[in-house]
Amino acid sequence: MDFSLFIPNMIKIWGKYWQLFLLTGLKNTLLLTCISVALGTLLGTVIAMLKMSKFKPIRFLVTLYIEVLRGTPILLQLYVFYFVLPNVFTFLKLSQFMWVSIALCVNSSAYVSEVIRSGIQAVDKGQMEAARSLGMSEKQAMMKIILPQAVRNILPALGNEFIMMLKETSLASTFFLGDLMTSYSIVKGASYLTLEPMTIIAIIYLCLTYPLSKIVERFEKKMASPNSYKKHNRKRKLMSGGKI
Amino acid sequence: MKKIIALALATLMVLGMFAGCGASGADGLKTVTPGKLTVAISPDFAPMEFVDPTKDGQDMYVGFDVTLAKTVAEKLGLELVIMPMSFDACQTAVYAGTVDMSISGYSWTEERAENYNISNYYHAGDNEDEQILITLASNGDKFATVEGLAGAKIGAQNASLQQSLTEEQLADNELVLFTDLGTAVLQLKNGDFDCIAVADGNGEAIIAANPEIAKSGFSFVVDEKYTGNVILLQKGADDLTAKVNEILAETESQWDAWYEEAKAISGIDQSYDDAGNAITG
Repeated sequence: MDFSLFIPNMIKIWGKYWQLFLLTGLKNTLLLTCISVALGTLLGTVIAMLKMSKFKPIRFLVTLYIEVLRGTPILLQLYVFYFVLPNVFTFLKLSQFMWVSIALCVNSSAYVSEVIRSGIQAVDKGQMEAARSLGMSEKQAMMKIILPQAVRNILPALGNEFIMMLKETSLASTFFLGDLMTSYSIVKGASYLTLEPMTIIAIIYLCLTYPLSKIVERFEKKMASPNSYKKHNRKRKLMSGGKI
Repeated sequence: MKKIIALALATLMVLGMFAGCGASGADGLKTVTPGKLTVAISPDFAPMEFVDPTKDGQDMYVGFDVTLAKTVAEKLGLELVIMPMSFDACQTAVYAGTVDMSISGYSWTEERAENYNISNYYHAGDNEDEQILITLASNGDKFATVEGLAGAKIGAQNASLQQSLTEEQLADNELVLFTDLGTAVLQLKNGDFDCIAVADGNGEAIIAANPEIAKSGFSFVVDEKYTGNVILLQKGADDLTAKVNEILAETESQWDAWYEEAKAISGIDQSYDDAGNAITG
């Protein structure tokens, strides 16, 4: 393979198409990610609550919802939302962009709900018991005692979900929705050059995800529970003279 | 009570499937969206359909097929709505009834004729009819004949005319399928296969951007029914198909001009610098 033209071609492509990458591609990728994560989190919270419901049929339906969404490829889900659902719900006059956003949001909700549920269930059972024995109602205990502690487990994982979603929006390029991957398809189709635009969008994606993952990392440290295993262990280590 | 609600919801959903199917256009033609002609194209196929990055919205889609779509919509008195999507998805869109038609450089195949209404042929200039092999320029004319091609790996786009042609005429060669022509060019450079089967017009566009690729000198024998492109319409949309065929007949004299115009925008008729490299952009 001949790489001598690689850099000159990349510069040429950047010069000609930079607006397509930065203004259209970047904008739509961020828009799709924000919509799907924001709505996905809302929906995911509801799903998580339903999943912990005491009513068995509801629990069954919600489990089915989560398993179907997590057990099928997201591209397949996009096809269903893009081709099948608009024909079923003809009274909904939604744009194609909205249908794909909804698909991504529904997909995200399944993952987020599991993050939230496990975050809540990771809080020690004793906390709920203690709150109840102090005379709090179940609702009060959940809102005032359990959820504030669960947020600590949930938020960093949500950050990771945002990064995942940012990359998964690239599938929207199947329908040329103007995200970064679409910019790549367009440039590739017009110029028949592949590696060069691919490298350009890879750099843009990395510029987005790397700082984000650093932020999530810091967040994780800040949010780490005071009695998390690591700190607890360090204390024990100190007390036992370095041997556990 | 819950059962009744569930039943009511289910009925609503089923009814929803049948609602909105009877929309009529200006000529009494049924289209998916009343008053609009929705056309699926896969704009990654210069010069037939591609994107002009200097424009935005619906104007950014250009190329021969887009000009054709505009003309069809205009003559039908409908507003054109282009829905861009991948080539595979375009066919699904017609099949699922999401769009009225797809104009995306289709060739006639028996399978397509079974599942879709197909228009008469249109020709985008002479060189779109020819089907050739392209290979690395360093191979010279090694792959110009069937004998020379013995043992060579041939790449062809999945579900394309080129796939059928390769299966028919180069049956002894190993056929490697791909979904995307741009990626296939990369695979060719990487040595994943020795030649790619393409339409001559696409081959020229590829060679213009990649000086290390050249025509192998081999051309397929193309049956007359495969020369030219067709429009895919929904099965049973006979009125619309008849209208489209009328329009195709009316506009035949303009096709060459449309194709030259599309080539000019895509930069295939570009200048070359002293070293013989194409000057793109």
